[in-house]
Amino acid sequence: MKAVNYVIPVLLLICLHSCKEKPKEPIAEKKFVTADTTGALPEEMGTNTYAAVDISPMDMSYFPVDYPKLKMANDSIEPPLVRVIYSRPHLQKRRLFTSILKYEEPWRLGANESTEIDFFKAVTIQGKKVNAGRYIIYCIPHPDKWTVILNSNIDTWGLKQDAKKDIQKFDIPSTSNNPLLEYFTMIFEKTSSGTDLVMAWDDVVAKLPIEF
Amino acid sequence: MKSMVLTIRQLSSMKNIVASLSFLLFFSTMAFSQASLPPLAKSPMDMSYYPANYPVLKIQDKIPEPVAVRVIYSRPKKEGRPIFGGLVEYGKLWRLGANEATEIEFYKNVSIGDKKISKGRYTLYAIVNEKTWTFILNRDTDTWGSFKYDSTKDIVRVEVPIQQQPTSAESLTMSFEKSATGCNLAIFWETIKVALPIIF
Repeated sequence: MKAVNYVIPVLLLICLHSCKEKPKEPIAEKKFVTADTTGALPEEMGTNTYAAVDISPMDMSYFPVDYPKLKMANDSIEPPLVRVIYSRPHLQKRRLFTSILKYEEPWRLGANESTEIDFFKAVTIQGKKVNAGRYIIYCIPHPDKWTVILNSNIDTWGLKQDAKKDIQKFDIPSTSNNPLLEYFTMIFEKTSSGTDLVMAWDDVVAKLPIEF
Repeated sequence: MKSMVLTIRQLSSMKNIVASLSFLLFFSTMAFSQASLPPLAKSPMDMSYYPANYPVLKIQDKIPEPVAVRVIYSRPKKEGRPIFGGLVEYGKLWRLGANEATEIEFYKNVSIGDKKISKGRYTLYAIVNEKTWTFILNRDTDTWGSFKYDSTKDIVRVEVPIQQQPTSAESLTMSFEKSATGCNLAIFWETIKVALPIIF
């Protein structure tokens, strides 16, 4: 009888312990899984036989901010100025510069495909003119600044950059100790002369100033 | 009896552990949220190319043929709901996804349903019926949903039959399949497949 009374709490402990652990799911075969794309898999990953839902989902940001919604509300809106298409890896208990990225090594600014930026009109960045068109954008992080690079090798996967096709490079300051972000985030913020492309992940934020 | 009391005490301390764990979890979640930046979309966006997996093949130097088409769409989930005839009502315009309207880009001139299409970006909508879908290619890009759909900007409308599938897809899925004359944009959701022929 006494023994039985101890079995219940022990069972509860086991239950509690197993609740804390994420269920182990089958890992779907995935090409080019690297530090910025690893981690627990979303529920459908292994079971969608057509195309699995990605662990680092894609997202899109426009400037003007929320352009598609603005367009819905305003028929006579001017065309958009910039948009970025990127994938959103998440920290999953890791830290950005201890287990995901290394300083001085190129990073695709996302996951999976190279991050794409479309300038719908010519812009100026740090005094340099950038023609309208589609580019891929990647960075080389340093401890207190990032080198952000526009490259013409579009429609490509992010793990291999062809530096011969680099169009422009920009050094921008980066800050840390910002509020922690689980998911990598790219968004445009309005400025007096145009917009900043804000790149934020973990507690690190870097902003690329774009002038129209 | 004494040992029974002990068990209840242990149970109550177990409850405390659970409570403090949830408390911690709550605050760690708080730390990750930041009001000014956009949260993850509930229906995540995705992109498919023809040739399939073109970006990966490109860095492997294994491109089978030049890039011809890509589609950018959001992937709503079924989540137990009836989709066709339910969430997606028969006879009504559908954005073929979620959030932003679905964008299809042709990297060269193509034909869809005997209509010549110049290379460029377009919005793709569909009207879903029980046996067929009508695809609508429209030139109004960078838009949200189908709320501002303007039929005067239609390029072509094509009706294609549905194909019943043996398995059900939880998330809306789009991929390109090679065909004798180019490729098909294949769309899967629930147990329905539809294929839009693109000729090039």
